[in-house]
Amino acid sequence: MRMPEIRVVIVDDHQIFRTGLRAAIGDALEVVGEAATADEAITVVRDARPDVVLLDVHLPGGRGGGGAEVLHGIGRDPELARVRVLALSVSDAAEDVVSVIRAGARGYLTKASSGAEVVAAVERINGGDAVFSPRLAGFVLDAFGTGLGETATTDDELDRLSAREQEVMRMIARGYAYKEVAAELFLSVKTVETHVSNVLRKLQLSNRHELTAWALSRRLL
Amino acid sequence: MSTVPLVRRRDERIIAGVCAGLAAHLRLPLMWVRVAMAALAAVGGAGVVLYGFLWVTVPWESPDEQPLFRRALTKPAESGAASAGGASAHSTPVSEAMSSAVEPEASVPGSAAPKSAASNAAASNVDRPGRPLPAAPGRAASDPSATGEPETGRTRGRIPVAELLLGAGLLIAGVAFAMVQFGAQLHLEVVLPAIAVLAGVGLAWWQIADRDRPDRSALPRVLGALVLVAVGVLMFFVTAREPNTFTVITAALAVLAGVALAAAPWLLRLNRELIAERAGREREAERAEIAAHLHDSVLQTLAAIQQRSEPGSEVARLARGQERELRDWLFRAADGAPGPPGESLSVELRAHAAALERVHAVRFEIVSVGAEAAIAPAAILGSAREAMVNAARHAGGDVSVYVEWSPSQVTVDITDRGPGFDARSIPEGRMGVRESIVGRMQRSGGSAKIDAGPGGTGTAVRLVLPRASEGTENAHA
Repeated sequence: MRMPEIRVVIVDDHQIFRTGLRAAIGDALEVVGEAATADEAITVVRDARPDVVLLDVHLPGGRGGGGAEVLHGIGRDPELARVRVLALSVSDAAEDVVSVIRAGARGYLTKASSGAEVVAAVERINGGDAVFSPRLAGFVLDAFGTGLGETATTDDELDRLSAREQEVMRMIARGYAYKEVAAELFLSVKTVETHVSNVLRKLQLSNRHELTAWALSRRLL
Repeated sequence: MSTVPLVRRRDERIIAGVCAGLAAHLRLPLMWVRVAMAALAAVGGAGVVLYGFLWVTVPWESPDEQPLFRRALTKPAESGAASAGGASAHSTPVSEAMSSAVEPEASVPGSAAPKSAASNAAASNVDRPGRPLPAAPGRAASDPSATGEPETGRTRGRIPVAELLLGAGLLIAGVAFAMVQFGAQLHLEVVLPAIAVLAGVGLAWWQIADRDRPDRSALPRVLGALVLVAVGVLMFFVTAREPNTFTVITAALAVLAGVALAAAPWLLRLNRELIAERAGREREAERAEIAAHLHDSVLQTLAAIQQRSEPGSEVARLARGQERELRDWLFRAADGAPGPPGESLSVELRAHAAALERVHAVRFEIVSVGAEAAIAPAAILGSAREAMVNAARHAGGDVSVYVEWSPSQVTVDITDRGPGFDARSIPEGRMGVRESIVGRMQRSGGSAKIDAGPGGTGTAVRLVLPRASEGTENAHA
C-alpha cells in the first residue's frame, strides 16, 4: 500500500532554487505551493495547508525578519498548528540558524543537501521527529558547553544536555544517521528520536546565554 | 617613450648609486657619467654639489611592490606619466624664476660652479628626444624627481617643493662660495637667517614625503621647523641696524607667516589622510554590497547545482569547490581582515579538505566543537590529514570530520562510508596507517583507533590527544 504523499510548500526568494528543489524531490513529495517573500509565504501556507514547509532562512519581505518571521506567523495561527517547518540555509550564519530553530523550525539542512536528503528529512519531520544536520548538532554541542564537560543531572534541566543526549549529538555531528546512532549506542531508533526531540526542545526553550552569544561571536561554517 | 625611472642603483654603486642610476636613466655608458661627475667635482666642486643633491632627492630602487591600498589610491601608470608631465610643466616656471633671480648674481665673472653644473645638466640631457634643454640645475633636478619615481607615487601629482628648496639652497650656497672666493662682501647677518628659514620650511615640507611611515613621529620635526622659521625671521629684524616699532610689528607678522608656512604641510597631510580614509570607507561599503549580492545570487546557484547533480560527480565537486572559495572570501570580507593562515586545527583541516575535494570525488563535512587552541597540535593535525587523505582515496563520497576540544583532550573523528578495511590486515609495508596515523599519535602521547564506520560500513578513525602533551609535541615539531 502506498503512503499518501506528503504535501509541501517551498518558500525561497530565488526562482532558480525553487525550481531546482522541485525537480530534485521529484515525485517523492507533492509540492502544493511556492512563495518568494515572507508575506506571501504566510498566505500560501494558510491557503494550501501543507504538511511541511521548506523554508529559506534568508527571506525578503515582511518586517525584515526573514524565515523566523514566517515561523512566528505560522505559530500564531492555531489552525496551522500541524504545519511543520524544515529550515534550509545557504549562509550557515549561526544567528540565522538559531533564530529559525528557536522560532519553531523542526530541523535544519544546508541547501547543498541532495534531493534524497531533503526528502528523508521531510519524511522524518512529518513523522514528528527533529532533523539535525551534523553542523547543527555541532553547534548544539558547542552552545550547551559540552566541550567544558557540562552535563545535565536531571531530565528537565533546560540549559544543559544529558550525557545520553550529548552522545547522540556527537554521533550525528560525526555524520551518523539515526539508525546508525541507535546501533552504535545500543539504543532503539525510537529512543534516539526522543533524545533528538528533547535536544530540539531545549534549543528552543533554553535561556542559555551562549546560544545567542555564540551565534554573535562566531559563524557556523 | 619609456625611460628607466631615475633611481639609485644598489647593484652597481660605488658611493650611493647615483651615477649608476643616472647612467641607466639617461642611457649613457656608466663610465662616461662617472668621468663627467669627477671632472665636475674637480671644477670648483660643482660635481660634488650635484652628486649630493641627487643623493638626497633620488630614492633607492625599490624591489618590492607598493602596498595594494596605495596602488588603488594612486593613478594607473599611463595617467601617472601624464600627471608627471603636468608636474614638471608646473615646476618649470618656478625653477626658471628661481634661476633668473639667481642669474644676476651668477653672472659675476668666473662663477664656475653653477654655470658648469648647468652646462653639465644640459650636456647630459642631449640624447633625450622631445625634451627642451633644461635651463638650470634646478630644472634638471625637478625633472627627474617628477618623472623619475612612478613606483613610489610619493612626489607624483604635486610640485616637489622640498627638492626645489634644497636645490635652490645648494645653488645659493654654490654662488656664495664662488663670490667669497672672488672677494665679494657677504652679509652674514642676512644669509644665516635666510638659511634658517629655508631649512625650516624645507623640513616642514619634508613631512609630506614621510607621510606613509606612521611609525615615525612627525612632532619633533614640526617643532623643529617652527623654531627654525621663527628664529630665522626674528634674526632678520633683531640684527637689523635700527630697531623700531615698525620693524617689531613686521617681525611679528613675519613670524606668523613663517609659522603658517611651516604648518601648511601638516594641514595638507591631515586633509590627504581624511580623503584617503573616506575612500577606504567607501571601498569597504562597496565590498560589503558585492558580498551581499554574491551571497544572494551565486551561492544560491552553486547550491542548486550541487543539489541537481549526482553526488560525487565532477560538476558537484566543482560547484562545491567554488562555493567554498567564495564563502571564504565573503566571510573574510565581513570580518574585515583575512584570517591568519594555518593556525587553528579546524582552519587547517578545512583547507586540507578543500584541497582534497579538488582532486578526489569526496565531500568533507567538518564540525568543530569547543574552544580551540590557537595553534593546531602538530601530531593530531598530521594524523588527521593522513586519515582524510585515506578516506578521500579509498572511500570517497561523504566524509565527516568531527573535532571536539575539552579541557583535558582533543578528539578528532574521521568517518567515511567507503568499503572499509580491517586494521589488523594492513601489510607491514603500508606506511600510511601504521606510521603516519597510529605511530605518530602514540609517539606524542595520544592514541589512534580504527574501527568499522556507521552501520558496519566504511571506516571510523578516532584520534585522541591529551592536551598536556600539546606543548611538548609542538616544541619539537
